[in-house]
Amino acid sequence: MAEVEETIKRIQSQKGVQGIIIVNAEGIPIKSTLDNSSTVQYAGNVHQLLLKARGMVRDIDPQNDLTFLRVRSKKNEIMIAPDKDYFLIVIQNPTE
Amino acid sequence: MGETPTSNFVLIIKHDTENIECQQRNITENSAIYSPSRFWACFLRCKMQRLGASKIVQIDFMPKEQVTYSKETQTPVASDQPEGKELFYLYLIINMDIQLNSGFTHETNLEEENAQEAEEGKKNHNQPRELTNEEKEQIIHSEDFLFFFDQSIRVMERVLAEDTDIFFDYSGRDMEDKEGDMQAGSNLSFNRHFYDEHWSKHRVVTSLDWSPQYPELLVASYNTNEDAPHEPDGVVLVWNMKYKKTTPEYIFHCQSSVMSVGFAQFHPNLVIGGTYSGQIALWDNRSHRRTPVQRTPLSATAHTHPVYCVNVVGTQNANNLITVSTDGKMCSWSLDMLSQPQESMELIYNKSKPVAVTCMAFPASDVNNYVVGSEEGTVYTASRHGSKAGIGEMFDGHQGPVTGISCHNAVGPVDFSHLFTTSSFDWTVKLWSTKHNKPLYSFEDNADYVYDVMWSPVHPALFATVDGNGRLDLWNLNNYTEVPSASVTVEGGCALNRVRWASGGREVAVGDSEGRVWIYDVGEQLAVSHTDDWSKFARTLMEIRANRGDGEEEGALELPA
Repeated sequence: MAEVEETIKRIQSQKGVQGIIIVNAEGIPIKSTLDNSSTVQYAGNVHQLLLKARGMVRDIDPQNDLTFLRVRSKKNEIMIAPDKDYFLIVIQNPTE
Repeated sequence: MGETPTSNFVLIIKHDTENIECQQRNITENSAIYSPSRFWACFLRCKMQRLGASKIVQIDFMPKEQVTYSKETQTPVASDQPEGKELFYLYLIINMDIQLNSGFTHETNLEEENAQEAEEGKKNHNQPRELTNEEKEQIIHSEDFLFFFDQSIRVMERVLAEDTDIFFDYSGRDMEDKEGDMQAGSNLSFNRHFYDEHWSKHRVVTSLDWSPQYPELLVASYNTNEDAPHEPDGVVLVWNMKYKKTTPEYIFHCQSSVMSVGFAQFHPNLVIGGTYSGQIALWDNRSHRRTPVQRTPLSATAHTHPVYCVNVVGTQNANNLITVSTDGKMCSWSLDMLSQPQESMELIYNKSKPVAVTCMAFPASDVNNYVVGSEEGTVYTASRHGSKAGIGEMFDGHQGPVTGISCHNAVGPVDFSHLFTTSSFDWTVKLWSTKHNKPLYSFEDNADYVYDVMWSPVHPALFATVDGNGRLDLWNLNNYTEVPSASVTVEGGCALNRVRWASGGREVAVGDSEGRVWIYDVGEQLAVSHTDDWSKFARTLMEIRANRGDGEEEGALELPA
């Protein structure tokens, strides 16, 4: 639907947002506002990180599950909202 | 003894009668003759007979099968044993294989293949296969994806809107001047406003309601956008006060302008809207559809005129939705079944003509009696059931259509539930009691149509009004009755259509004619009530009555309680 496009554009135009990527459960990007090489890089790496993070959470408590992941770095912040079948990545520079 | 039993055989030897005795003697020495001693003994006991040749019959006796159990317990054997066996067999097969195929070359080939596969697998893992555009489109349009997208975007927006810098260093940098109102002590200060570029532009805010379950949620309904004929006529947005994000929590729309909206009091997920066409629409925030999940039919049994009042009354187990339209029809519905009203009633005064109802209010904890304001400027009490079902008393006083009506609902030591206020196009706000058919007091500080009035839910003497000049007034009757105690003009000076107090009595939401909802914080001195405010208000009321009594109006009647 066009709503998905609209919403992505709206988020992209918010202060400090550098990119938005939607990836499916296998790590294949479905939608992205970044160029292809960055998208693939982010998708692959985030997928790995997500598996490890989820594994860790479940390892410590099997009834628990990962709901949100934020990676704060010097230059920006990567926010990941995971789901059963897809996950949403937003890269933001909060101090901008 | 470890010797495996061999098959026994019997050999029949031809003998002469004369030689038997000799043979007998030689039996132990001659090992070439294999015959069981038993047989020989039998032979000796029998009479000497003439021997002759006979056929040789060869019989094989299988060794006796020894059945043994190697297991000592009932539990299954540990798993590495079969694996071990498997490995063993595998080894055998491999060995055989190697031997069969003059093996070294074959073996290395296999190894190479395996290594190659492993490498390829790794490569595949690093580079996920590309999806075609069609596949991507398909995924984007799927139900699952839309649901995931809706949920994640909501969370992400909340996170993005929080702009706290966790690394802020107070020592190294200059402290920036804090933005925003430093009017901590002021009575009425601007908090934030809600506006959506797409959905609320060019629309008038027709109604507001705060959620009883989640005090941070506010629902606002909007009417048609004249500039966008292809967009839905009626829009309902649910806004969230808790997070800084500027987009609505939920967006609902329907085909007809929504004139009144409210959260269903006993159903946290439902939003009810009364529309211009007379339909009542029900939205559910559990479904991710934006259109109503239920709608009343457009029939003569329901409403056919715009519905300006919707209200859920009752208790958790026994509640009804009361709706009144401008043709004087009042319907009572059950939220489970909106296909037809449970009961309906024409509100007719004096058996002449129906009342054109513009606003309705129920006093606190009353499910039967209520007050309505009409287009002619008269106010009526009405009741749903009982001997006097329908319109009761008439209250005359306003000279223009009544735009808003509010019953006193602060609960305290003194009961003021007989009081209500009304606002009207005649630039005044009037204070009434259900016991007198003339107003107790008239507030005439406004210079434009007064569009709405509401009593504070916590303070007995405080109410808010909004008018067409963009003014929001707070009247505290314990302070002054001539002028408002606090007043502010909203930015832009647009006409303000609706005012609603939050349930805690500390915030006021105001909707204007440009689609913006403004939230104002009310200062503590004004908003919070003290225990003596009730008795003070009772005294104020007595004074008001006394003053009114001086200027005795014509036709004033004391009405039976």
